[in-house]
Amino acid sequence: MKRTALVPTGEATIGPFFPPRYVDAGANDLTLFEGRKAKGEAIEIRGRVVQEDGVALENLVLEIWQADARGIFRHPADPRSAQADAAFLGWGRAVTDTQGSYIFRTIRPGAPQGRAPHVNFMVMYSGLMRILKTTMFFSRDPDPVLAAVPLPRQELLVAKLEKPGIYRFDIRLRGDNETPFFDD
Amino acid sequence: MKTVIEARDERTQPARLVPGYPQTPLRNPREPLVSRQPTLSELTGPLEVARRVKLLGGDIAGHGEKRAIGQLIHLRVRVLDEDGAPVGGTVVEMWQANAAGRYIHPNDDDHAPPDPNFYGAARLVTDGNGLFELRTVKPGAYPVPTRDGWWRPPHVHFSLFGKVWLSRLVTQMYFPSEPLNAQDRILNAVPDAAARERLVARLIAPTGDPHNALVFEHQIVLRGREATPEQP
Repeated sequence: MKRTALVPTGEATIGPFFPPRYVDAGANDLTLFEGRKAKGEAIEIRGRVVQEDGVALENLVLEIWQADARGIFRHPADPRSAQADAAFLGWGRAVTDTQGSYIFRTIRPGAPQGRAPHVNFMVMYSGLMRILKTTMFFSRDPDPVLAAVPLPRQELLVAKLEKPGIYRFDIRLRGDNETPFFDD
Repeated sequence: MKTVIEARDERTQPARLVPGYPQTPLRNPREPLVSRQPTLSELTGPLEVARRVKLLGGDIAGHGEKRAIGQLIHLRVRVLDEDGAPVGGTVVEMWQANAAGRYIHPNDDDHAPPDPNFYGAARLVTDGNGLFELRTVKPGAYPVPTRDGWWRPPHVHFSLFGKVWLSRLVTQMYFPSEPLNAQDRILNAVPDAAARERLVARLIAPTGDPHNALVFEHQIVLRGREATPEQP
């Protein structure tokens, strides 16, 4: 059965009025799902999001998607999805505070097949006509997505271990040491 | 179930830097965006967001004494993939201004009055045909704080997930024959005229609907298509 090809709908900015109630309480905590604790090492990812002039961006929406502690995605395209941690959804949403800071509580992901451990990020904000997509890594371990980034900028995608279990991943939308974003 | 994602035609997507939209040059990357081959990580995504967030019913115009002020409308929106296959079971978030052009949000300090009977948000799941329906009021236009004559035309915001990470979409829907559509900086950031036209809902000829609502239909196409199963 052949269907007609359709063109994907045009994106638009999320604007300044995304309803606060859409950032559900606990949506930034991936370690708990329906009252159950995910398997693996609980970690925090913290950071600050700034624009060109270094000004912190408040009320900016971030979403993450990642594999579970064993590197399995909760999705049927992953051949190992039947073994995915039932207590881990892999998705979360956070919003930045007045200082531009965000926090996710999550599980340190395992390495998916052919990839180093990583967390996918999306940035949605007023003034962004398109969702900005980037990926956070825990180390410089070989990875095809990290390798696609020009060498001098790769370090910007590696989170800094602040103290045990706490990683810092700052996001600079534009300007010096700008975070690399992907064109997809 | 594998999803194939291909590059989009840039002319059907908005420019990142928009003349007269002063935040765009401060917040969009200066460095070129990096190309990558999608891996399993980007070609999977959250399918069960509805188990993590609170759904909000799609009848948001109120009833009787609590009826929101404004023109009652009924939106019928179909969500499809690039093959035209319905995207069922996906979360849709919708938000809009009230009939006076005011959002219920701390960022909206416009002088237009809030309507105690209108919050302006719904969070739904598409049915097996990729359909969702909303009973709401037509949003009002409002001036943008650039204070240089830019008014947003009536529009409705949608956020959708789809089947994989790269099918995530945030978009806006417009209304037909609105004079402000032609000068809106966000709608007109999409270079291709046909792609802009597809952001505009279609008015269905009124048929004596007893609910006094004007019916609009709209179609949203998420990125991706199902891979053809391999032949044995």
